Amino acid sequence: MSNQTAMINRYKWYETLAIYAGIALFLIFILCPFVEGFLVSLKPLSRLFSSPYRFWPENGSFDAYVTMWDSVPGFARYVFNSLFISTVATAIVLVLVVPAAYAFARFEFMGRGPLLAAFLAVNMFSGAVLLIPLFRLMRSLGVLNTYASMIIPGVAFLIPTAIWLLRTYMVRIPKELEEAAYVDGAGRFYTFRRVILPLAMPGITVVAITTFIGAYAQQFIFALTFNSKTEYMPLPIGLFSYFGRQEVIWNELMAASFVGIAPAMIVIFFLQRYLVSGLTAGAVK
Amino acid sequence: MGQLYLNKVTKSFGDLDVIKGVTLDIQDGEFVVFVGPSGCGKSTLLRIIAGLDDATRGDIVIEGLKVNDLAPVNRGIAMVFQSYALYPHMSVFENIAFPLRVEKMPEAQIKQKVEDVAQVLQLDQRLQQKPGMLSGGQRQRVAIGRAIVREPKIFLFDEPLSNLDAALRADMRIELTKLHHDLAATMIYVTHDQVEAMTMADRIVVLNGGYIAQTGKPLELYHKPQNMFVAGFIGNPKMNFLPATCTAVSDDGVTVNCLDREVIVPVKPREDLVGQKLTLGIRPEHTFIGEGDLDFRITPTVVERLGVNTIVYSSTNEENRFSALLPGAAPVVVDEPVSIAFNTVDCHLFDENEIALERSTALTEIDIEKLAVQSA
Repeated sequence: MSNQTAMINRYKWYETLAIYAGIALFLIFILCPFVEGFLVSLKPLSRLFSSPYRFWPENGSFDAYVTMWDSVPGFARYVFNSLFISTVATAIVLVLVVPAAYAFARFEFMGRGPLLAAFLAVNMFSGAVLLIPLFRLMRSLGVLNTYASMIIPGVAFLIPTAIWLLRTYMVRIPKELEEAAYVDGAGRFYTFRRVILPLAMPGITVVAITTFIGAYAQQFIFALTFNSKTEYMPLPIGLFSYFGRQEVIWNELMAASFVGIAPAMIVIFFLQRYLVSGLTAGAVK
Repeated sequence: MGQLYLNKVTKSFGDLDVIKGVTLDIQDGEFVVFVGPSGCGKSTLLRIIAGLDDATRGDIVIEGLKVNDLAPVNRGIAMVFQSYALYPHMSVFENIAFPLRVEKMPEAQIKQKVEDVAQVLQLDQRLQQKPGMLSGGQRQRVAIGRAIVREPKIFLFDEPLSNLDAALRADMRIELTKLHHDLAATMIYVTHDQVEAMTMADRIVVLNGGYIAQTGKPLELYHKPQNMFVAGFIGNPKMNFLPATCTAVSDDGVTVNCLDREVIVPVKPREDLVGQKLTLGIRPEHTFIGEGDLDFRITPTVVERLGVNTIVYSSTNEENRFSALLPGAAPVVVDEPVSIAFNTVDCHLFDENEIALERSTALTEIDIEKLAVQSA
């Protein structure tokens, strides 16, 4: 190994420039709203509508991050609700999907192909399309205005993607490992627990992260429709509390958004550490 | 202790018969090698013995007990996979201990056994490492260790050396032979490499297209192949085949017309042969430059000099490649015709159905039993 870049990775200066320009364009496009949002959260409300509009805040402060807790007393509860709903949904999805993905990856059974295709097809409908039937279903189940009304549909719509993701990962685990375990007398479940699960951990982590993010993002629509109780509101709905009758407290709304996202970011950050790549190195070959 | 009997075992995948009736008796302590070209069914047969695949028909009997419906672990076999199939997230110790943990053996006993095995396989310094940190040969030894630790009656090896480089393969071959000697266990070994088959086996089973082409001791296969397939498969470079016509039979052998010359090949005669088109086989290593019972001129198209030997390849007029294995300093040059000769004692003769006529002369000179004992 030398410090020189491999031939295939060498670029002319103008190629490098073009690549970075392209990356910059996309990054600016994606990150600008975040920057703007953060800057707004630093401005005093009175200054927000000053003309001419100033991008950089004058005498900016973190006051909004303090006052937001007083303006909407239930805010902490909303953040907790969001986390709670997402965490429970993720846990349920994992419990259901890990064995299912293994079965789809390994067992030959009737209807395996059509079932997988059906899962993919379900993905094409967002929950929003099915809100009315779902509402009726939730009402029949008697779970309207409970956590369950937000968790159950969330789980249902997250499972297909999760199965596809994890199945793809599990297919790549060499079959010989199971055969070797079988020859050595291990049963299916023992092999699953001692061999497959540890090897699938990176895949399971990816699924956990995507599911968690998915649950966090999609709870808005279910919460809006199936829940009207303030104490069960998740963050996206809770943010509406900053919309007053007279005015919208924009700076606190932005501050609350950032604070609300923070716990999810921390969870993802910790999960990411388990994304050990190349864990199967040395298994076969 | 590790006696195995296969009775008319067949295996079909749909309409495709992969194993077409294999009957085989393997004695306790024998080292048997299944060899054959790709797709001959050797690995499938091994998987059937292991219990990973089931036989479509026929019985697998281990120590007098029909084991068709028994799980691998209850058959008393252990298997080493071509890909090693090590558990990458476990240390070498845990990999070897895996079968014992399944059995729920007490911890102290596991430790003792694993350490004993590691000692035998020179892995004692590596027990805490993960398979990913080991070299190919060490991984192979771990896989073997996992098989040994259970003390099975029969070891099954599925092309275990095919992922190793040539030098390491030679080393592992010697280690495996020694291991077989030390454990005195029955071993069944699948390979497509005839060098492995010849060097390690007590007995070789040559498979071709789902049938057993021939079963026998390595040198038996070499000196007395029963058909053209085995004759061509065993030996490197491949045996040369020349067309011949039978003109007469006598007690001395079969008189054939080959290369425009009449010669008597000392094989067991059969009356119906006269007039038949036969095939005469001669191994490249039994040819020499000069004159012999039969000689003809070939024009070398490729000359490979290996130091100890020189291999000459040429195309004869029938498009067949003719090869000769000559001494290292043989005076052959590409495109310069040379006279290649061989003697009828070294010849093999095959009838129209590619079945060999048993050679009669060579047997007095080659004591197969004695050679086999020495090589073991």
